[in-house]
Amino acid sequence: MGKTLLFTLFLFITIPVFAQKKFTISGTIDDASTGEKLIGATVKIKELPQDGTITNSYGFYSISVPAGNYTLLYTYIGYSTVEQLVTLNQSRIYNISLHSKSELNEVVIRSNKPNNDNVTSPQMGQEKLNMAQVNNVPVLLGEKDILKTISLLPGIKSAGEGNTGFYVRGGASDQNLILLDEATVYNASHFFGFFSTFNSDAIKDVSIYKGGMPAEYGGRLSSVLDIKMNDGNNKDYTVQGGLGLISSRIKLEGPIVKNKGSFMISARRTYIDFFLHASSDSTLKGSSLYFYDLNAKANYHFDDKNALYISGYFGKDVLLLKNTFGTNWGNSTGTIRFNHLFNNRLFSNTSLVFSNYNYTIQDFQNSNYFKATSQITDVNFKEDLQYSMTTDHTLKFGLNILHHTIAPGSITTNSTSNFNNESVEERYGYENAAYVSDEWRLNNKLTLLYGIRLSGLFLLGPGTFKTYDAAGTTLTAQTYASGSLVKDYLNLEPRFTASYLLSDHSSIKASYNRNTQNIHLLSNSTSSTPTDLYVLSSNNIKPEIADQVSTGYFANFDENAYEFSGEIYYKWLQNQIDYKDGAQLIVNPDVESLLTYGTGRAYGMELFFKKKFGRFNGWVGYTLSRTELKFAAINNGQYFPATQDRTHDISVVGIYQLNKRWSFSSDFVYGTGNAVTFPTGKYQIGGLTTFSYSSRNGYRMPSANRLDIGATLEGKEHKKYHSSWTFGIYNVYAHRDPYIITFRDSKTVPNTTEAVETSIFATRIPSITWNFKF
Amino acid sequence: MKKIYIYALVSMFAITAVSCTKVIDLKLANDSGKLVIEGNITNVNGPQYIVLSRNVPFTSTNTYPPVSGATVTVSDDQGNTYPFLEAPAGTYTAPSIAAVADRTYKMTVITGGVTYTATSVMPAAVSLDSVTSKTSNFDPKGNRRGITVHLQDPPGIANQYRFVLWVNGVEVNTVFAFDDEFTDGRYVNGDLVENATDIYAGDSVRVEMQCIDKPIYTYWVTLMNQQRDSPGGGVAPSNPPSNISPACLGYFSAHTTQTLNIVVN
Repeated sequence: MGKTLLFTLFLFITIPVFAQKKFTISGTIDDASTGEKLIGATVKIKELPQDGTITNSYGFYSISVPAGNYTLLYTYIGYSTVEQLVTLNQSRIYNISLHSKSELNEVVIRSNKPNNDNVTSPQMGQEKLNMAQVNNVPVLLGEKDILKTISLLPGIKSAGEGNTGFYVRGGASDQNLILLDEATVYNASHFFGFFSTFNSDAIKDVSIYKGGMPAEYGGRLSSVLDIKMNDGNNKDYTVQGGLGLISSRIKLEGPIVKNKGSFMISARRTYIDFFLHASSDSTLKGSSLYFYDLNAKANYHFDDKNALYISGYFGKDVLLLKNTFGTNWGNSTGTIRFNHLFNNRLFSNTSLVFSNYNYTIQDFQNSNYFKATSQITDVNFKEDLQYSMTTDHTLKFGLNILHHTIAPGSITTNSTSNFNNESVEERYGYENAAYVSDEWRLNNKLTLLYGIRLSGLFLLGPGTFKTYDAAGTTLTAQTYASGSLVKDYLNLEPRFTASYLLSDHSSIKASYNRNTQNIHLLSNSTSSTPTDLYVLSSNNIKPEIADQVSTGYFANFDENAYEFSGEIYYKWLQNQIDYKDGAQLIVNPDVESLLTYGTGRAYGMELFFKKKFGRFNGWVGYTLSRTELKFAAINNGQYFPATQDRTHDISVVGIYQLNKRWSFSSDFVYGTGNAVTFPTGKYQIGGLTTFSYSSRNGYRMPSANRLDIGATLEGKEHKKYHSSWTFGIYNVYAHRDPYIITFRDSKTVPNTTEAVETSIFATRIPSITWNFKF
Repeated sequence: MKKIYIYALVSMFAITAVSCTKVIDLKLANDSGKLVIEGNITNVNGPQYIVLSRNVPFTSTNTYPPVSGATVTVSDDQGNTYPFLEAPAGTYTAPSIAAVADRTYKMTVITGGVTYTATSVMPAAVSLDSVTSKTSNFDPKGNRRGITVHLQDPPGIANQYRFVLWVNGVEVNTVFAFDDEFTDGRYVNGDLVENATDIYAGDSVRVEMQCIDKPIYTYWVTLMNQQRDSPGGGVAPSNPPSNISPACLGYFSAHTTQTLNIVVN
């Protein structure tokens, strides 16, 4: 089956090679003032309106057309369009620099005709965040946050107030692949989820795929959040930063060799603990509570054909109560990438990626003394090639060899402790993949984006591997030597999207894709805790599989100033994981015996209306959806709503530029409450009131809604420096969004019980930040 | 790792710094009339009780209708059978049993034409060394006290413990269940972490230690995990897995019992 498909695929794409004589226009597009390569910038040919291309992650583009005289149009959101006249009688290279509008100090951003990529591109289920918009959307305590901003898009839901976790089209939060410069970020939250690990100063580009996943991505069921760091200014040295209520940040960038190489270092740290240290209380003085992020990147372009990028991220959270208790956790990632242009149509990128997530928990009290640690380390080799074969075909293919080392947990103690030393065997495995995809323009109207990804999991020794029956009893236990194969799973993942242009300004699209997931997060708490435990697919755990079909209508109005899209989707989920009663997951060698497996389904409709340009811009998103799970042991084997099932979800974002100095922004969110389990009765056990339950997730939290506002005041213009103030109010009408509802014996009326709602942020939270740049 | 819950509580403390609570009205279904069986037999010679009642809707008062007229017996794997007689209504008593370690006990309850059975294995006794009090972890500056139990866990065997805590004669509304997964063979100084009752110097505290079998441990630990108001909601609650079949609410437990009293200083 797989071989036939691959063969057919190659058959399709090899035939047109021998067609008409064509020449290639290729090059890179960058920002004129900083030299930052622009991702997703559009190249169009006036005379051939149906042809066009966009730059890849490294700003590279390539397009092949017959000989002739053409006008090339280079456009990018927020930048002035560049027109290039060309007499094409040989292949040419054009490296184009675009000027940003803000640099031109234009208030009314509407000088050129915006493009209609969203309508013409065959990609669907993708959202791109404009970093300028991220910086304008008001957020909690003024900490700009891409994870919170993406949750304002339809189909993407925040895991809850004060939580950076997110759910995409009904998927659980561990079903999102979060990539920072190609490195997996396993825990994207700081301070139990109140802030994300992404310092938006250091971020250049954010894309999220909710469906129609391109074949180059894989490994998670629901979504891919692809985040790219800034390369660094290769023209001038600049310093920028900000002082906020809870944290400060600073970014340094500049050329290593002018126009050839640059670096960027960006850091952020909170400073609540400085107040602790200033305290006269000796316990507080010795305690800590902070997190920091450090992003660094450097690149060097040897020539037009070869470029090297090195980037890294280090982040950590530290919480320490003197002589009592301490915990710290953090991610570190490193990426080395080498771009090579074999010729003006074949672009290659080779990456070596490192990623680590670890946590430590320590109790310093004598009898309780222990130190528990756990970590996951990935080393990933990736080779990605992009071949602009003809105007009609753009081919992407590559392979990926990813090695995981998972140390699920170990405990070290001392002689006076209650606890024994304990350690769970490390697990090793390869997650490998190969893919090929082709974007095929059949004619002016119909474009196909189709491909296939072959993904494999290879679980390797050394170690003792057990199998369990449904009750969790050990059936077999076998010991494997180092490097020997314990279990492997191969999955073929077809990816297919078609788009059909109804007119210049509207299109319909449809897609089918299969995704599989071989690394699973085990956590029986819905909040973001650092004690994340990852397990690979094994003898007991089968790969999670999702099949998604979606279709949508896309239209632009008023010369592309307004954008509308409506998408519907249906997803089938297999091999989903839940936990047995009383499951103790931490440092447990038999953790797989505590799991139970089921299926799920998710479906919904997403509507999105956006005003892209002008003094007033913003969007309205609405999602109607349902997500249900089915486990034999839960709810008598009937479907029940998943925690993340949210019937209605509305977000409204508005940004208004009053004049050169003042801009205002606001966002409003409304969402149906999460599905929860509430008691339906009570009885007495062990002398205590105990609640009885009828069905899993049979109730709803009250709906949540909130309005935030923000304002930015740009400082007066100076030659040498620039400054601005950002003000914000989170939860303007002080709405009490319910956080948790608990049940207890009444404290006021004896012999009865009561339900108690807890809200966090039940009040307005103002913020102020001062930003500078010189 | 039970201590990790402390960490969850610490983080919750950070959250509650900006949070607020209120009592709300919820429309909840009326789940009532379901049979509840709570059966206990202990190693201490004396009367043993099995209590039958029914559950009531959440909005009712905490009075649970007794189930009368049932036939209740307990037998062991040595061929002994002990009849339980009802007095008062819903409470079934055998005047004198001392359960013996390693024996399997079987409870049989016949009511409403249905026969309910459950078995439980009597664990070997482990001695509760002492009970002490110290400044509460949650109130390092204040006067609140925390209770600590001290015991020598026997090495090489899996032990499960349940503790029941009374302060000035009132049972503290918290379930305490522990196993020795991380403490096997150690001298254990275990904190009974609770936030339900404030304990101060001068209070009289009673602690009962029970050695329980594995299924009963799962029952109590499930209840214990559900009690924790961990941030974000924690585990989805459910009725804990009963060892009674056909399934009903409650459990049957053969366990050791030992009680110590202290005055908090």
